[in-house]
Amino acid sequence: MYQYTEQDQKLIEQRVEQFRDQTGRFLAGEIPDEEYRILRLQNGLYIQRHAPMLRVGINYGLLSSTQLRALAEVSRKYDKNYAHFTTRQNVQFNWPALEQVPDILADLAKVQMHAIQTSGSCIRSVSSDHLAGVVADEVEDPRPWAEIIRQWAALHPEFAYLPRKFKIAVTASGQDRAATQVHDIGVHLVKNAAGEVGFEILVGGGLGRTPMIGSRIRAFLPQQDLLSYLEAILRVYNLLGRRDNKYKARIKILVASLGADAFRDKVEAEWQAIRDSDLRLPQAEIDRVKGFFPQPAYDSAAAADTSYAEKLAAERDFAVWIERNTVDHKIPGYRAVTLAIKDYLKAPGDLTDVQMDAVADLADRYNFGEVRTTHIQNMVFAHIHQADLYPLWQALTELGLARPVVGTINDMICCPGLDFCSLANAETLGVAAKVQEHFNDLDYLYDLGDIELKMSGCINACAHHHVGHIGILGVDKKGESYYQLTLGGSAAEDASLGKVLGKSIPQADVPAALEKILATYVEQRSEGERFIETVRRVGLDPFKEKVYASAH
Amino acid sequence: MPLLINQQLVEHDSWQRADEAADFSSAAIPAQVDLLVSWDQWQRARDVLLARGGRLGVLIPNDLDLAQLAGDLPRLALVAIDFPSFADGRGFSLARLLRQRYGFTGQVRASGDVTWDRLRFMQRCGFDAMEIDAKRFTPAMLQAFSEISVSYQGAADGIAPLYQH
Repeated sequence: MYQYTEQDQKLIEQRVEQFRDQTGRFLAGEIPDEEYRILRLQNGLYIQRHAPMLRVGINYGLLSSTQLRALAEVSRKYDKNYAHFTTRQNVQFNWPALEQVPDILADLAKVQMHAIQTSGSCIRSVSSDHLAGVVADEVEDPRPWAEIIRQWAALHPEFAYLPRKFKIAVTASGQDRAATQVHDIGVHLVKNAAGEVGFEILVGGGLGRTPMIGSRIRAFLPQQDLLSYLEAILRVYNLLGRRDNKYKARIKILVASLGADAFRDKVEAEWQAIRDSDLRLPQAEIDRVKGFFPQPAYDSAAAADTSYAEKLAAERDFAVWIERNTVDHKIPGYRAVTLAIKDYLKAPGDLTDVQMDAVADLADRYNFGEVRTTHIQNMVFAHIHQADLYPLWQALTELGLARPVVGTINDMICCPGLDFCSLANAETLGVAAKVQEHFNDLDYLYDLGDIELKMSGCINACAHHHVGHIGILGVDKKGESYYQLTLGGSAAEDASLGKVLGKSIPQADVPAALEKILATYVEQRSEGERFIETVRRVGLDPFKEKVYASAH
Repeated sequence: MPLLINQQLVEHDSWQRADEAADFSSAAIPAQVDLLVSWDQWQRARDVLLARGGRLGVLIPNDLDLAQLAGDLPRLALVAIDFPSFADGRGFSLARLLRQRYGFTGQVRASGDVTWDRLRFMQRCGFDAMEIDAKRFTPAMLQAFSEISVSYQGAADGIAPLYQH
């Protein structure tokens, strides 16, 4: 993975001291609340319902075991012994003391981690494919490009006070595992007819109050022009994006109001003016960054191992876990393993300090010291030798990270909701637990197959409910939590926005409503058809009739 | 109002802000002072102002399309850009465009909500002058320019992107 140079390190250390000074001046009454709010958000610090919340960046979801241990240590030393992994591959601490945040950041800087631009109206941390580098159909590894973008965006002097937050995701595979079509900018590595690698650029996707799928504004951008093109998009947005209404301030609103063609024309005109500037990426820089992402030293004889096949035949539970929680790897004899951070009745995405340390140890032992976070709030060991799968499964089972539910409705994405977040309108964690309780028959889950369930506690849609096959949105009705259901969304390469099923329902009715939805699917599906495909084929009516039948 | 030029506090501001009610059609225009007028005044009395002897500056709103001013830039010695609030970052882009697109070499001054924590970004984007509200001014704020010494990107301050070093 990328290793900081002296300059990279100096920058994050100076940023820590700058933030320490800003916080000190705020506490001394020298910076007004509203101004400090903006400054702290640019450094990942929210003031939440119970305490501040610090979001630390995990750039494109890549962590070393050393970094994960440092996160565990932070949770012990400054927080309540756990951390929450988010839908943009980052990590949050829910209970730090404001005065100690600079110390936390100083500790994290020692392991090349920071909170720069993990929040606020600026260019946020860049996300990417959690299977980058190990899937067969990839154009090339997208992570060096995500790192190049990270550096360009870090403390960019022109774009620190944008109309609204700005999120970029980069992928290079035909399968979209980073929800690029619902990002402000989606960058896809592609090959043109001449076989050259460049980028397809999407703009104006997003969720929140006005969900939209991004528009393609460029089919092929040469590699060396990546930063000039991004800068052109950001400049057009910075100058023309709305600032009078925060709900209309995202770039998606600008793209929609101008029309994608007119928006593209503005970007292209700006780009022509800056294309031949110092933004043109030197090949030496591209090569330098790529050099940090070598292929690990795989065992070329991995596939010759016979123990794996024996264990598969002998232990059904292991075979089930392999089937649900692991995927093919481009190298024969290796698999990529998902660590399901969806322990029974625990908050999705939460790991304790003990689990983090243990995962770091396992990463050292089996996975070249590497850990990845996913936008489904799980972790991935991307390079597991098939002979190591069985002992790894045993170790993960002990840690509560091997529930064989990946891809099922039990593998739900969920924001912290009313329990922690000051924006939330409704509770989410309790509902998630009820859903898990209600659907704990694994055979039934497997029969249902791949279903993405996503639940947000408010319209800001941190859990991406609009693009869940089943989306649940918490709303407040006279002080009580109600839930609106949507069906048919997807964040993958076939991106679509879910449609609202009907009027919102009380919390106690959520599991029963889900059961009716799933029963309708089982009734309606044709052979081998996934849930999302059935919804697309038959439409919402059959589901609607079943869920709201008792109300008639 | 405390004024920083080239990262230093200066004692004297040679620029005089024109009275908002000033009537430039009369002979009352001060001839030899450095005169800073608002965008409205500039639009109303451009020709009279240009016929005057002393140096001219215009304070522009941050939603201005610079193309409207481009042809007159050679006649201006100062362009001041208004920052209406701490959260509004349009002025950063305008300053870069003035310097890098339009080649403006006069003074580019940040005016309005200008405080410690944006000075470095302003300087990087091409502002060489910043007006600070007296209530928010402290000599210590000059350290803003040296808090971070690493720049990944190029901007309008002549520093090349890190990848070109």
